[in-house]
Amino acid sequence: MRVETREQDSVLILKIHGKMMGGPEATTFQETIKQHVAEGYRKFIFDLGEVDWMNSSGLGSLIGGLTTIKNAGGELKLAAVTEKIHSLFLITKLVTIFESYDTVDEALNSFPAGK
Amino acid sequence: MPLKKVGELSVPSTLDHLADVDQFTEGLFRNLALPREILDDVAISISEAVNNAMVHGNKLDPARKVLIRFYVCSRYLRLVVRDQGTGFQPETVPDPRQEQNLLKTSGRGLLIMRHLMDRVTFQPRRGGMQIVMDKYCPQDCYGGTERNCA
Ligand SMILES: Nc1ncnc2c1ncn2[C@@H]1O[C@H](COP(=O)(O)OP(=O)(O)OP(=O)(O)O)[C@@H](O)[C@H]1O
Ligand SMILES: [Mg+2]
Repeated sequence: MRVETREQDSVLILKIHGKMMGGPEATTFQETIKQHVAEGYRKFIFDLGEVDWMNSSGLGSLIGGLTTIKNAGGELKLAAVTEKIHSLFLITKLVTIFESYDTVDEALNSFPAGK
Repeated sequence: MPLKKVGELSVPSTLDHLADVDQFTEGLFRNLALPREILDDVAISISEAVNNAMVHGNKLDPARKVLIRFYVCSRYLRLVVRDQGTGFQPETVPDPRQEQNLLKTSGRGLLIMRHLMDRVTFQPRRGGMQIVMDKYCPQDCYGGTERNCA
């Protein structure tokens, strides 16, 4: 798992690559989110288009991220959720927990402008 | 082709070994004529079983090992994961899909394994818990036409 981060219109976009399988990388990921929240970021997009697969630890990372961001009064949107990940959301009933968009642009546009 | 052991791997119970297990699995099954989808289902399920074996079974004690054995016959793949813990009762595990569990960051591994694999059985053994997972191949796992697994 590798994470590329960029900022656009005060939204932080984290593009995740590879396998979200847990282990040391999952811990780092949670710390990274906390750090960005501490830096003052409140609007996040996780771009999942380049994720090869994820397991229950990967789902845990997404929920952990969501909780950190929400507790700070922020918002998280998912973008480019693959069919495979979507099927995991369905069987785990997480589909109602996350706000998902087909593309990063759509996710960006869903944030209210000028805040 | 009858059920045949094609690989075996033993790793210490620390989470940095999860990636090694995944690489071993990829290398082992890459040569078989399997669709990516099947390989991913198997890799995800192994990651769940090994994670559980390390964390819950072996309590992340590096001195305790997780043993993974890989079998193939023409109809299915079989993965056997064994730890050195005291076992558990799968029926007593809480359902992660219940409203009060939805925002928990864990508790979904067994659900995912059962969803992705065609058969999952838990076998308490002396000295540890063993999980057996089978995944059917859409065609012959070896890419032929034979469907025998005797
Ligand atoms: N090999 C094992 N030995 C002992 N207990 C186990 C074993 N595997 C699973 N369990 C028990 O079953 C529970 C459910 O396992 P499951 O994989 O579904 O969730 P989890 O491991 O707690 O979290 P997640 O997999 O989502 O990170 C565990 O919390 C543990 O109590
Ligand atoms: Mg687990």
